Amino acid sequence: MFWKFLDDINFIARCKKYNIGLWQCPNFLFLLMGIVTAAVMFGTYFLSQRFYDETTTIASVSLSAVLIMTIGYFIVQSAERLALANIIKTEFISILSHQLCSPLSSIKWNFEVLREDLKKNESFRKQEVFLNNIQEANEKMLKMVTQLLEVVRIDQGRVAFEMENIRLEGLIEEVIAELKNTCDDMKVGVDFQYDKNLPLVHADLKKMKVVLDNLISNAVKYSHKNGKIEVTAEKDNKGILLKIRDYGVGIPQYQHSRIFEKFFRSNNSSRYRTEGVGIGLYLAKAILKHFGGEVWFESKEGKGSTFYVSLPAAS
Amino acid sequence: MDKSLKKKILIVEDDRSLQNALVEIISREGFEAVSAFDGEEAMEKLKEGKPDLILLDIILPKKDGYEVLEEIKKDEKTKNIPVLILTNLEEIDNVQKALDLGATTFMVKSDFSLKDILEKIKVALGQDVDKS
Repeated sequence: MFWKFLDDINFIARCKKYNIGLWQCPNFLFLLMGIVTAAVMFGTYFLSQRFYDETTTIASVSLSAVLIMTIGYFIVQSAERLALANIIKTEFISILSHQLCSPLSSIKWNFEVLREDLKKNESFRKQEVFLNNIQEANEKMLKMVTQLLEVVRIDQGRVAFEMENIRLEGLIEEVIAELKNTCDDMKVGVDFQYDKNLPLVHADLKKMKVVLDNLISNAVKYSHKNGKIEVTAEKDNKGILLKIRDYGVGIPQYQHSRIFEKFFRSNNSSRYRTEGVGIGLYLAKAILKHFGGEVWFESKEGKGSTFYVSLPAAS
Repeated sequence: MDKSLKKKILIVEDDRSLQNALVEIISREGFEAVSAFDGEEAMEKLKEGKPDLILLDIILPKKDGYEVLEEIKKDEKTKNIPVLILTNLEEIDNVQKALDLGATTFMVKSDFSLKDILEKIKVALGQDVDKS
């Protein structure tokens, strides 16, 4: 009995693990309900005692107790259902993503071996296109799965950050180079300008790259064909101000407040591009917050968007 | 190359297709690759002959990577062998636990190409890395 009691108390730790608020935690709510019931009972008792006789007092106290407990029971029940649903969702994403990682890594590595062999082959030129397609599809899946896992980790505060001082301009150039195929497909040009003597930023290299990739690839993907995007990195009094500007589809005003929400994709974006899970900006914001940075945007439907990133200089 | 001059690398990984790819690329590089598909087999292979480096997955049947790592580091004969963790677990507690137990490096499978892994192996063995 004692261990079960301890286990129940432990539910509070479980709630924290799954990022469930205290007000959704059933055990906390039961405790609260107990306190409220007791308080109401005492209150009713003292009030009744002043005005009524013994019998009426007992009756009113009992009635109030039953009433409160009934109401409380239903409230706690729905809270419990909600908490459970959240836990299941988080675990599902986690388990699925972990399971997908193995076969995806397998494709990645076996492909690498195969590619080395095929390079020696005469007909490699003809085969290369198809090989590239498979590789690209695989990398896309891996990226999606990795980002899903990151979302779960960030929610639970379990991300491993490896902080170091990095040259942001270099990283941006790398990301732009890696997006070359996407840019060529869309026939979108990228113009990158940066101030001389930009300070270093203190961040996790891999995660910062994810942030930049999300923002810059969004700009490219939501541009019109034969369009261009402008990326600028300026020195400001806090550190660096990054601007990523596109002249593409833009975001409808009434959806501006939801842009950084998990799994949210604006109507414009899902109509224009069918692929995408809606976690890129959520991740970007959470990661930047960890580096002491901020992200915000301006956008007009049909005109395009400008995303701003502010990062403190490395001390 | 004379077998006795080749550096021996023990690869502990339960997924057969991943083992295939790792063994292939490591052998091509001139190392002797030895496979173990679970924690217990890993300990057996260690007894058969000391490797120069160990690639260790964490999620393994029978005995997990942490247990294997702990045992490796406890044994005088094996505690100085560099252990490179190769897993898909990326949570901070996993990384910390592995490093605390004495792992040399922590690599997430989906982030590393075979070429990257080879580089890490060479660095751990103190060899020059081919920059081409």
